[in-house]
Amino acid sequence: MRRDTHTQESRRTFLKTVSAGGAAGLVGLAGCVGGVDDDGNGNGNGNGNGNGNGNGNGNGNGNGNGGVDFDTVQLGILEPFTGDFSALAEERNNGETLGVQHVNESDAYDFEFETSEYDTQLNPEDGTQAAQQAIDEDGAQFLTGAISSSVALAINEVALENEVIYTPGAAAVSITGDNCNEYVFRFETNTAQIAEVTSQWMVENLGDRIHYQIADYAYGQSVREEVDTRMARLSDSYEEVGTTRSDLNAQAFESVITQIEENAGEMDALVVGATGGHLIRFLVQATERGLKEEVPIVTTTGSFAVVRGGAGPAAHDVYSGTRYVPSIETGDNQSFVEAYQAEYDALPDNFSRVGYESVRMVANGIQAAGSRDPTVVKDTLAGMSHDTIFGEVAFRECDHQASNPVWMGRNVAPEEGEVADVEILTRLDGQEAQPPCEDTGCTL
Amino acid sequence: MVIGIQQLLDGLTVGMGYALIAAGLSVIFGVMYVINFAHGELYALGAYFALSVSAPIGGGAGFYVALLVAPLLVGVVGVAIERFTVRPLYDRNPLYHILLTFGLVLLINDLIIIGWGPQPQRLSRPDLISGTFEVAGATFSRYAFFIMLFGGGVTLAVWAALTYTRYGLIVRAGAQDRRMVRNLGIDIDRYYSLVFGVGAALAALAGVVLAGRSGVATGMGSDIIITAFVIVVLGGLGSFKGAVLGGLGLGVLQESIIRPGIPELNWLLVPRIFPQLEGMIIFVLMIIVLLVRPQGLFGSEFEEESGELLVGTDGGVLAPDLRYKLGLGMIGLLAVLPVLSGTLLPSSLVEGLVIRILYWGLFALALDFVMGYTGLVSLGHALFWGLGAYVSATILMNLTESAFVAAFVAVLVGAAVAWVVGYLSIRVHGVYFAMITLAFAELFHNSLTRIDRWAVGFCETTPVCSPEDLQGVQITGGSEGLFGISQYYGIGGVGVRLDEIGVFLGPVTLTGDLLFYYVALGTLVASFFLTRRILNSPFGAVLKGIRENEERVRFLGYDPTVYKRRAFTISGAFATMAGVLFTLNSVGVSPAAADWFKSGEVIVIVILGGLGTLFGPIVGAFAFFGLEHLIQDNLLGPLQALFTVVLEPLGQEGLVPDFSSRWRLALGALFVLFVIYLPRGLISVPEKLAGYLPWEVSFGEPVGEDERGENR
Repeated sequence: MRRDTHTQESRRTFLKTVSAGGAAGLVGLAGCVGGVDDDGNGNGNGNGNGNGNGNGNGNGNGNGNGGVDFDTVQLGILEPFTGDFSALAEERNNGETLGVQHVNESDAYDFEFETSEYDTQLNPEDGTQAAQQAIDEDGAQFLTGAISSSVALAINEVALENEVIYTPGAAAVSITGDNCNEYVFRFETNTAQIAEVTSQWMVENLGDRIHYQIADYAYGQSVREEVDTRMARLSDSYEEVGTTRSDLNAQAFESVITQIEENAGEMDALVVGATGGHLIRFLVQATERGLKEEVPIVTTTGSFAVVRGGAGPAAHDVYSGTRYVPSIETGDNQSFVEAYQAEYDALPDNFSRVGYESVRMVANGIQAAGSRDPTVVKDTLAGMSHDTIFGEVAFRECDHQASNPVWMGRNVAPEEGEVADVEILTRLDGQEAQPPCEDTGCTL
Repeated sequence: MVIGIQQLLDGLTVGMGYALIAAGLSVIFGVMYVINFAHGELYALGAYFALSVSAPIGGGAGFYVALLVAPLLVGVVGVAIERFTVRPLYDRNPLYHILLTFGLVLLINDLIIIGWGPQPQRLSRPDLISGTFEVAGATFSRYAFFIMLFGGGVTLAVWAALTYTRYGLIVRAGAQDRRMVRNLGIDIDRYYSLVFGVGAALAALAGVVLAGRSGVATGMGSDIIITAFVIVVLGGLGSFKGAVLGGLGLGVLQESIIRPGIPELNWLLVPRIFPQLEGMIIFVLMIIVLLVRPQGLFGSEFEEESGELLVGTDGGVLAPDLRYKLGLGMIGLLAVLPVLSGTLLPSSLVEGLVIRILYWGLFALALDFVMGYTGLVSLGHALFWGLGAYVSATILMNLTESAFVAAFVAVLVGAAVAWVVGYLSIRVHGVYFAMITLAFAELFHNSLTRIDRWAVGFCETTPVCSPEDLQGVQITGGSEGLFGISQYYGIGGVGVRLDEIGVFLGPVTLTGDLLFYYVALGTLVASFFLTRRILNSPFGAVLKGIRENEERVRFLGYDPTVYKRRAFTISGAFATMAGVLFTLNSVGVSPAAADWFKSGEVIVIVILGGLGTLFGPIVGAFAFFGLEHLIQDNLLGPLQALFTVVLEPLGQEGLVPDFSSRWRLALGALFVLFVIYLPRGLISVPEKLAGYLPWEVSFGEPVGEDERGENR
């Protein structure tokens, strides 16, 4: 069930209404209880009062001063610095820091970002508190961060309630699908986009008899669902040979591998819906048992540096729907890679590019809107086209999902060392990878 | 054949891993009654030491050296932990070990990240034990055989040492009856360091062996710790044989029987139901074993030495009258906080932090009601928080937006579940009770991600409903949770939304979260006075009697079990209410609401504040979140600066550890210090300080001996 934004007044809208119209009424009314309509302003449901408010009184509380000159914009960075995703958080944070640096040093922007960082601890309760703190304590008008989908979905709601713009780092489809809202813009490539390129490539190159092995939680389930619907659309003879599930923190995959091996002859590909430590553990144990020789393994996150590094030789010859690799020559990616290397002495990976470009795209929106009022910037950002590391990319108007291109890649043994390189097999343009607006479940 | 060879092999390999992890935990528990949550981190530490040891040697030899050296190193760490942190707690209730080892978990985990970085890493293995080999046309993994042979060898060696050596004899005797061993003139305490060291080394050994199979990652410890506890309980707390056989049995059950399914049993619907329950069956088993045979399959019954439960101060230097006024003053102070919000205080402090503290205070108060007043240590209170959060969220999303209805129904459900859980659990005592509540909570936690799927499955297979009925209905929202909750305070469509009304107090406008603040504060204060009233009633007197001496209460003609069950039900209802407040204040709920970590955190809060007092848990909540907040604000900055100052001139600035996001390190260390030096909690601080003052303090009339325990 979606929140109905027309009947739900947010606190800030309420405060704005009160401070805009009811200043006189407040004096001396100690202890008086009033409704929104009592304050003499009478604009009732406050949707769309953003611009009116801004120009009307310039109430200088650091949030909604549209039309007034400004030098700084407050950005709240919310990452799971503690917990199982801390490696990814660090990667993303590096990208964000570089993005902020880029904006602050560039002449193309008339303002500078000021940032504050908070730890979401991989927990929605701490995540919302962090977001609230960034908004209230530092006056953040823009938020970015979070990698797990529960935390991102929670911050989605905080962003809507407080009318601040949020650029999440999680890939769950529902963030710009069922649970989308007008304040959320996502540069991270979502699972639906990756499933599109993966399914197309599999049908053309491997076949259409698929076994799914998934980590039994939101991400794994969504990989299965997205690939399954696309395979059914792309091939009439598509057959789901089977599905095996493992707990998210499963350590041993022995019996799962045995089950897959028993049916290996009947399948054209094994799709693994998992990421991080879970995927690494599965790949290492599957390789040990020689599963790769029996059936091609197709993943959706196997190209991540964390996975390739953690799995070593076990990641070789694994296929992967790919959101990003540093070697691509699109947009100004190469100058991003150079700057990143100069700063951190390492290659950027998916999460760093999401952090980097999320910051830049928000900056573009602020610059184009000439305002740091999120209610104004959100209207500018929707549908706006940006020059990014992927070339021209837009936040689609209907769901605010970035129209990123996606790739199919294969991990190949490197010339030296053990960490696999990613060989790009095919590319799908942004428009083609995105599901039609009416299928997203988002009504913006 | 019912089970194939490969399946059996899968089960035994996994089982041997379990056995190695659980063996050390079980020995430590059996001899010292230490509920060691840090066991998982010691296991991880073993894997990380192995990385460092094997890397310079490289290749195959490195792995073998690591297999020997890493457990030794972790054994030394274990001995140090026992000497400096566990030893001061021996005559206390095992409850304190939860706080201690919880602190150690945070501490060790952050040290690992500082030392080795957060990225997952690989432990390379010799070729001899890599890849596969073929026997009679079937391929088998060499490493699986290595795990089984090596693990089997190690467990046999430890078993032999326990059975045939003098040390082993004393350790086993100590596990059965500590007092008797002491009476025989043996200083059993001296053996404790050794036992803890060996237990830690066994954990590390498991870490190295399993890292070879699954890689090394910072979360590996927390991933296995609950399973390890389950195995220890199944096999029998303190029984080495039980841990090994329990581990092997569980491995075979999970991997060889449940997962592949057995065609011969198809008529039982087993293949359709079992896979749905994967991950939950172990908790069902755990509950059954605890109910039918609490000492576990192979454990022997032992007289539990529960140790002293150090309840907070008995009033100490503050007279009841003064304390009452102090309490009222505190409530008054809390009541004016929102008015200062945005001017004297940052608004996020009041709207975010203090509201959170208020409902956590209620949660802690609820736990303290059973833990501090009846001595029942529940490790499963997250169950009730989760119930409160989810039941109210489901109602608000699907049925009505009335907060009152949601809260009412949730508390009813919470109390009912508490009664059932209490009915089943209270027949077991002490740590068994802690473990059975943990099992119930984990069962619920695991079901949260599946309930929606079960509902669909149910509607597909039965004529009661059709899957179309469930379109757009989310009961628990799977592993993402439920988001987009809104509510009004009223009933039947008549009521107010806190965002739409405002209270004008001079220049201050209270609306939204600031009004919710009063909802939370009101609930907490009302619950406080309600529990106070209950404790001052005859019912409360019996509860306190149970804590002091259960036998005597029984002799007086009261049935302690009945009273405990009622106390548990009341506690469950209050904890559920805390969960409801959480939902009302947040934008959504997710399965993290019922994570076992929450049960641990709330125990930490209660002990931090002061067990067995009503103020204590609330003070504890302020201390816990206040400290977390302060430490996150870069309390470790000076330490970082120190490292930089020392290492930079040496040209080694690359070695400066990054402390900025490692605030849990300081928090963990603080917990450890607290449990050692301030076991009666913060509430005992005035009393402690008074002892150091050179003059006689008089804060009103001190409490007389016969009044102690009243009015707390």
